[in-house]
Amino acid sequence: MRKVDRWLGRAGWGLLTLFTLTALFAPWLSPHDPAAMYEPMLPPSSAHPLGTNDIGQDVLSELLYGARFSLLVGALAAGLSTVVGIGLGLIAGYYDRIGFAIMRVVDVFLAVPRFPLIVFLAAFLKPGFWTLVLFFLLFGWTKTTRLVRSQVLGQRHNGYVEAAVAVGAGDLRILGRHLLPGTASVGVVRFIVEFQHVILAESGLSFLGLGDPTIKSWGSILHYAFQYPTIFISDVWVRWAAPPGVCITLVVLALTFVGFSAETWTNPRLNGRGS
Amino acid sequence: MPTVNNGGTRIFQYIITVLVLLTLNFFLPRMMPGDPLSYLLGDPGADAPMLLTEDMRANLLEYYGLDKPLGAQYWEYLSGLARGDLGWSIYYNAPVGSVILGRLKWTLFLGGTAAAIYVALGIVLGAVSTWRRGSKLDVGLLISIFSLGSWPPFFLGMLLIIFFSFKWGMFPIGGAQSAEAARIGGWKQVVDVLRHWFLPCLALVLSYLPGIYLITRNAMLSVLGEDYVRTARAKGILESLVLLRHAMPNALLPVVTTVAMRFGFMIMGTMFVEVVFAYPGMGTLIYEAGAARDYPLLQGAFLVTMVFVLALNLLADALYGWLDPRTRRASA
Repeated sequence: MRKVDRWLGRAGWGLLTLFTLTALFAPWLSPHDPAAMYEPMLPPSSAHPLGTNDIGQDVLSELLYGARFSLLVGALAAGLSTVVGIGLGLIAGYYDRIGFAIMRVVDVFLAVPRFPLIVFLAAFLKPGFWTLVLFFLLFGWTKTTRLVRSQVLGQRHNGYVEAAVAVGAGDLRILGRHLLPGTASVGVVRFIVEFQHVILAESGLSFLGLGDPTIKSWGSILHYAFQYPTIFISDVWVRWAAPPGVCITLVVLALTFVGFSAETWTNPRLNGRGS
Repeated sequence: MPTVNNGGTRIFQYIITVLVLLTLNFFLPRMMPGDPLSYLLGDPGADAPMLLTEDMRANLLEYYGLDKPLGAQYWEYLSGLARGDLGWSIYYNAPVGSVILGRLKWTLFLGGTAAAIYVALGIVLGAVSTWRRGSKLDVGLLISIFSLGSWPPFFLGMLLIIFFSFKWGMFPIGGAQSAEAARIGGWKQVVDVLRHWFLPCLALVLSYLPGIYLITRNAMLSVLGEDYVRTARAKGILESLVLLRHAMPNALLPVVTTVAMRFGFMIMGTMFVEVVFAYPGMGTLIYEAGAARDYPLLQGAFLVTMVFVLALNLLADALYGWLDPRTRRASA
């Protein structure tokens, strides 16, 4: 089992690295400007390896630029959610009164089904890049906060923390040096889960046509492909709808695999069990 | 895992949540730039409301109560909701409430049956994986279920339509039933509805199976280390019976909570799948309302969805208390 975990982990990291490099170097890798228009619905050729879409944009260039947007929104929203979540979780676990207030807010947020709410907000507010990140941050921090808080509550009266208090360490030092490191494993796992969620939710929003129509993302490519009348009847979907779909799937899958391997190196207690 | 609160705080929490949602539902459209009438008449970008004469404008504003102070409007909105009045849909030219009622049954049918199937299947496969843990069967299940589960529901739906409907012609390409069969009624209609139901249901089952499977597997594995399981084994009970009778009941508790906490998440999948299969449920309705800029309908559909999910969560909370006697004692 552990051998499989390691192998899957490697596959996951490999795929993620590949996608990250693609996203970083999209302007150099793309054969064309994704907004430039050529003849519509060209079949694949050496000039347009995946052909062109209904308004004549190069599908491969769209796809490469789409990696940029989808991954950036995902990484940024998941990263910020994790950082905010850990920060508030530490505070909520260490200071009782503020903690009580924070947890009541968390309760309300956790009770709200977040995707319908994001769809609703998106329909009214027409989100751009930063609005989107803000949406996902707004609904992404709560679970991390809850987990980190319960962890801090458990460790607050451990010997090493009390010893630090006894030698006169300030609150900041105790939180930063003694309690923060323990939250790393929760943070890594939450980051991965959140990343997956944001990638799926963002591409879903764009697929529904609720994203920014001018931004190239994997979801928006699928949106326009799905709107195209004969998309399913002809084999156009193979070069137009399938690539972005497969990319989303591979990123989510890669994150799952990385998560598998992360679980074993962030939670040593799992080793030796269940195998 | 949700913290185990006693019933009173829990219900209070739900009430607060509903109030927050109602308030958001009321204020968000009013915070949008532009004329409140342009929002009511559909497209906020359109010039149409400008063509109204001053008198007509005043009449319309008065009719919708938009000339009153915000507090009074909010009160009217709440009392309207209490009477079951969700507003008027511009796109369908019908009361929002009745439009939603027509759609809700399809979502409940599709989402309900799919949920029953993937929960049951997830638990069974999770248990099988635990029973044969570490074997090729376990690893195979784990990898294949995850590979399936990473597909975004809308993409999975598209692929299913392409192959099963267009290429192989085995299933209808969309909708919930054909007009022909609905007219004939009887068994013909039942078969027709089931044929339309199959592919969207399959898409949902494949998308949400992995979550349930993994939770069951993890929960079972962690329970297996407990003393009472060791005791059961020491008594010489068959391994399969140890799993079924001793490990399973306790392992199912986290499964119940997770299913409950994911209702909102599952709504997302149902929405995509409905749109892809043109299935006339709430998801398609929200999508259409958004595309047609029918804001009253969007608000109504959103509100009904939210309240429905919250009600399911509340129900699951109650169920959890009933399943786990420990929480009952703690709350007493």
